[in-house]
Amino acid sequence: MDFTPSPAQQLLVATARDVLRRHYPIERAQALALDERGFDDTLWDQMAELGWPGLLVPPAFGGSGGSLLDVVLLVEEMGHACLAGPFITSAVVATSLIAAAGTPAQQKRVLPALAAGERIATLACLEESGAFDGDVALACDVPGRLHGRKLFVKDAHVAHDLLVAVRRGADLAVLLVPADRAGVTRLPLDTMSGEKLFEVAFDGVAVGSDDLLAPADAAAALASALEAGALARTAEMVGGAQRILDTVVEYAKTRVQGGRPIGGYQAIQHACADCVRDVDAARGLLHAAAWKASEGLPAAPDVALAKAYAGEACLAVARRGHQILGAIGYCEEHPLQLFHKRIQAASVDFGDAALHLETVARSIGLV
Amino acid sequence: MELALTAEERAFAEEVRRFLRAHPPETFPVEGVDAGYGSGAHSRAFLQALAAEGWLAMCWPKAYGGAERPMFFKLVLFEELALAGAPFGPLAGSWQTADAIIEYGSERLRREVLPAIARGEATFWQGYSEPGAGSDLLALTTEARRDGDDYVIRGHKIWSSHAGIASYGLVFARTSREARRSRGFSMFVVRNGTPGMDIRPIRSLTGDVYHHEVFLDDVRVPADLRLGPEGEGFVALLNGLDSDRFWGRFYKGPALARVLAQLVEHANTTVAHGAPLARDPVVRRRLASLAADIAALRLLFWRAACRMRDGAPITYETAMAKVLADETGQKLARLGMELLGMWGPLRRGSRGAKIGGELSHAYLTSLGHTIAGGTAEVLRTTVAVRGLGLPAEPRARAEAR
Repeated sequence: MDFTPSPAQQLLVATARDVLRRHYPIERAQALALDERGFDDTLWDQMAELGWPGLLVPPAFGGSGGSLLDVVLLVEEMGHACLAGPFITSAVVATSLIAAAGTPAQQKRVLPALAAGERIATLACLEESGAFDGDVALACDVPGRLHGRKLFVKDAHVAHDLLVAVRRGADLAVLLVPADRAGVTRLPLDTMSGEKLFEVAFDGVAVGSDDLLAPADAAAALASALEAGALARTAEMVGGAQRILDTVVEYAKTRVQGGRPIGGYQAIQHACADCVRDVDAARGLLHAAAWKASEGLPAAPDVALAKAYAGEACLAVARRGHQILGAIGYCEEHPLQLFHKRIQAASVDFGDAALHLETVARSIGLV
Repeated sequence: MELALTAEERAFAEEVRRFLRAHPPETFPVEGVDAGYGSGAHSRAFLQALAAEGWLAMCWPKAYGGAERPMFFKLVLFEELALAGAPFGPLAGSWQTADAIIEYGSERLRREVLPAIARGEATFWQGYSEPGAGSDLLALTTEARRDGDDYVIRGHKIWSSHAGIASYGLVFARTSREARRSRGFSMFVVRNGTPGMDIRPIRSLTGDVYHHEVFLDDVRVPADLRLGPEGEGFVALLNGLDSDRFWGRFYKGPALARVLAQLVEHANTTVAHGAPLARDPVVRRRLASLAADIAALRLLFWRAACRMRDGAPITYETAMAKVLADETGQKLARLGMELLGMWGPLRRGSRGAKIGGELSHAYLTSLGHTIAGGTAEVLRTTVAVRGLGLPAEPRARAEAR
């Protein structure tokens, strides 16, 4: 057993912390949350120079061939900084899907640009049920025309490519189509977290066989990509909850009421103790799942455990944070609300607790 | 990062499983009840069977008869024993005492007591709490007065586990009235049956005897049975308490995993409203959620273990893990009682009992776990003050140092 990240991972984390602290102060996150585009292009370019979008891209396509554990450690820092933008959407989920199931031509065309941060891709998977249970109803003949819509598509406004999960006869298939192809319409949803979600409508969009990801690999690759997304959003929650913990502890040390810091009162101390327990426990499960996935071991139950646990634990940290901070935490001016909203969004993304606990229920042998 | 056991550790786990198949744990006689911590009942015979494998002393220095195996082997052994529901109740206490003796024990303790521990013959009770000194341990009044080559101990200890059947007591007593509050305490290894020692059982709400109170009426103890330097006992005790929180709870996770597996089996085989109980979405979700809690718990303990192995400081990690262990145990016992319904309250051995009547016992014993070895409240304060750096309340300051 060894919980220490490798020297390379420590460097990645230290760099991320430093870059985000310098170029992405919390005021920037708060401003972008209220911004229609909600995306810092300059910072994205810096991230690309640091090679972050290429972490999951094989070296042959200009990436660094890193592991999911690398990604998880990096995204924890992003969560700690409340970073907005399409990193998870594009560099984790879409990238791993294309890396796993893209045709050679698609990979050659898209992966180098994704690694360089020059292209952004997003996954269009969810439909009316809003459930990540692999149930896709949108049917499409290939070649043919796509009619229908997808919901909760992230960062579609800045995406160059859409990965659309469709039903092709009895099989699941994934299409890689440019977001600006005729017949594609992106309609923004208004979210409390400032995350950019879209309904994407397809009105007779022409689809050819070149648009298909390798059919034999598509279903398994989609499942793996959703797993990667679940891990990344878990990391985001853990990083965000850690930041809330840091914030409330600092506040408890300095906010004086009744003649002494409120952190000197046991009621506050115990609430803070529960926060650190929740963060540490969630992080343990996260790292265990990410490590397993990175070692190529079957990790689905571990990812499910980690996502379900973190969703509940990190939200509990956020709610306790509001109670500890008192009235100031209720203000938009204070960043706590933004961390809380992001954690809430992440807790339901790529499978909510109910979905993941069902995976766990099967893994512990419930019939 | 390497979040799995090494090949050597896995091989040792397999060796332990083979031992358990050859020596089914339920066939060993027991002298003392299972207090629900996950280490099972007090069974000298089982301890001696472990000793015969060379496992009790396996991590000690060779000079003391050990094999200098890494500390993690103890943890692997704990996990396997707890998963099997084996009766290794006194093992953690024996190991902790051995470690303290190896670190700062007298020649006599090393010569007399260590070999007895290695043979599985010596077990220990803790004489820390007193009627007037519970969470506020420094309020204790038991005194050890120096008299020539001996100390003479006078006082009243309480909540001492298995004191009636153990070999020695670890008695914490004041050796100086002059020193400031946290100084002037010493620890003594006192053999059961020493004249002046009167051990009386306390029957708990389970109906069993686990705790005892111990009256020490001028008990004479040779000075070389003092454990550690005179007056430094509190520092040793604080380290001991941190260590106690770790070693006294490390096996809780695997023990809870065993109970969870029993509840899963129960849910799979019990029909309610025409379908297996396991098909009830609420039941599924709650059992799965407990599985996540138990997995998280296990990792917190292993993380603390890594810090101990690597010599990194432990400030809040074991206190936090202990509270989570005990509260998770309570949560699981509550759920078990709910799932068992009318069968829940049936005692061990009762006609018609399900899962051996284990849950009623687990439910009742779990009530004491958030009190024993540091209450959940005291430990949350420890986490906040020592771990997060929050200012101590005036009364908590000494403890936090």
